[in-house]
Amino acid sequence: MNSGTARWQRNVFIASFIIPTLVFFVVFTIYPVLQGLYYSFYDWSGMSNKKKFIGFDNFKEMFHDPIIWRAIGNDYFLVAGKVIGIMVIATFFAVALTRFGFKLAGFFRSIFFIPNVISVVVIGVLWNFIYNPQIGFLNAFLSLFTKEQVTITWLGFTEHTIWMLLPPAIWAGIGFYMILLIAAIQNVPASYYEAASIEGASQWKQFRNITMPLVWEQIKVSILNIMMTTLNGSFVIVWIMTEGGPDNSTQVMGSYLYQMAFRQYHFGYGASIGFVILVLSLITTIILQRLMRHEAVEMS
Amino acid sequence: MNAGLKNPVVKAIFYAFLIVWGISVIYPLLWTLLDALKNNEQFFRNKPWSLPEFPLLWSNFSYVWSKYNFGTYFVNSMIVTVGSTGLGLLLSATTSYVLARYKFRGSNSLYLLYISSMMIPFVLALIPLFFLMNSMHLINTKIGLIVVYASSVLAFGIFVLVGFFRALPKELEEASIVDGASYYGTFFRVMLPLSQPGLITIAIVNVLNIWNEYIVGTILVNDPTQYTLPVEIGVMQAEMQYRTEWGPLFAALLVTIVPVLLVYIFFQRQIANGITAGAVK
Repeated sequence: MNSGTARWQRNVFIASFIIPTLVFFVVFTIYPVLQGLYYSFYDWSGMSNKKKFIGFDNFKEMFHDPIIWRAIGNDYFLVAGKVIGIMVIATFFAVALTRFGFKLAGFFRSIFFIPNVISVVVIGVLWNFIYNPQIGFLNAFLSLFTKEQVTITWLGFTEHTIWMLLPPAIWAGIGFYMILLIAAIQNVPASYYEAASIEGASQWKQFRNITMPLVWEQIKVSILNIMMTTLNGSFVIVWIMTEGGPDNSTQVMGSYLYQMAFRQYHFGYGASIGFVILVLSLITTIILQRLMRHEAVEMS
Repeated sequence: MNAGLKNPVVKAIFYAFLIVWGISVIYPLLWTLLDALKNNEQFFRNKPWSLPEFPLLWSNFSYVWSKYNFGTYFVNSMIVTVGSTGLGLLLSATTSYVLARYKFRGSNSLYLLYISSMMIPFVLALIPLFFLMNSMHLINTKIGLIVVYASSVLAFGIFVLVGFFRALPKELEEASIVDGASYYGTFFRVMLPLSQPGLITIAIVNVLNIWNEYIVGTILVNDPTQYTLPVEIGVMQAEMQYRTEWGPLFAALLVTIVPVLLVYIFFQRQIANGITAGAVK
């Protein structure tokens, strides 16, 4: 066999393993993303012959659209609420299940992850039932302590209804980040803790001085991940539970994009909301990375 | 090695937290099952936590299965999940192997392209995806969902598998080539079997994500015969404003949850591996 055919065979092999995947990826991921950026400069109701280039007009319109500002505010409210809620609880459980010598640690760990394998749609429906004003769990529970039947419409306030979406979002997110942090804590050499115990350091001191600095890298990654997934994906639970209502008060960018594009057929405007989501997640990533940078400690 | 907590009061408090959270996770599942066995009247007359009355309405399950066509949606979800997981696995394993083992012009940039795409918000692609699939006549088809889902899991698969292939010893491939096996034979008969743990981990994580996926399904499918389970749950929940059938709704939720719960019970370790592998960016 001469080297020419060997080379040829090698190249054919490489091409046959690279090209199909790349074609799929370009057609169904890269191309739609680029199209999305492109559409954001058009006024377009979905009919191909009525697509009109309008430059930055969609973005200018956004400046005067109170709903988009509200949506951005809600998005960052959810980011902040989820980062704090999930990280505090997940860190607490991760430490409790690794460092405190509980006998049932493995069992709790398995249980706590369950919400993460359930579809967000199902979670939304379940929590809707918890909040249901007539037959819901929450009102029935509160009624135990009152003379009159409690009939609060939990998802119907014109203000602050977004707060109601935080518990399901946190509840659904804990397990995933707990698993990440448990893995990180288990990577910390046991000798560090042994040395600290011998010197009489309390659990709290060990947490502050060993666990936190050494898993900080993982905490950083988790916070960035919560931020990204919230800006990109929190709208599913919003859509299922409130459809952005009442009166657009719980709208987030994703749900507003969906409503604009697929309910009101403003595809150009919808696409420009997508553009904003991209830009904001990039900016927020950079800012968060700056803020969290100097506290990292390298593990030897 | 682990001293644990010394103060029994503190320990009890921590235990209490764990138990409360455990209940908050288990109880909704239990309660989904119990509520699936009630009729509407029991929902309004009794407390949400009260047990279903006899006779238990197991018929709610057959009702959603036939009247609400959950049989069809279940099969649709199965086909789409298995199809796209399989296709995604094949596409990512082949490319990962070449990226891990062969140098060629642009191989590094290609790897970076896949990895960095994990940073792009997928919502950006929703609108164009709808029109793309429409022009390809793939709206309302399982094939349409399969190719989109398969493509959406590529980056994660490549990220994990390139690392996996790199960690495998080179000697095995060399021996296989010396034995006269072709490149393809080496890949399919030597490398793929060796990378099985990695493949299984990715497959499980993808199965869960695709089975549960809602928004792409909603956008690409509006023909009720082609719905997947989460899409139908969304539709059903919206319909509840006009006709209330709470028992069947909970039965429907359970039909959607049970398969993933089984997958979770059997593949817990792989799922945990998949999460930690995917997050070490």
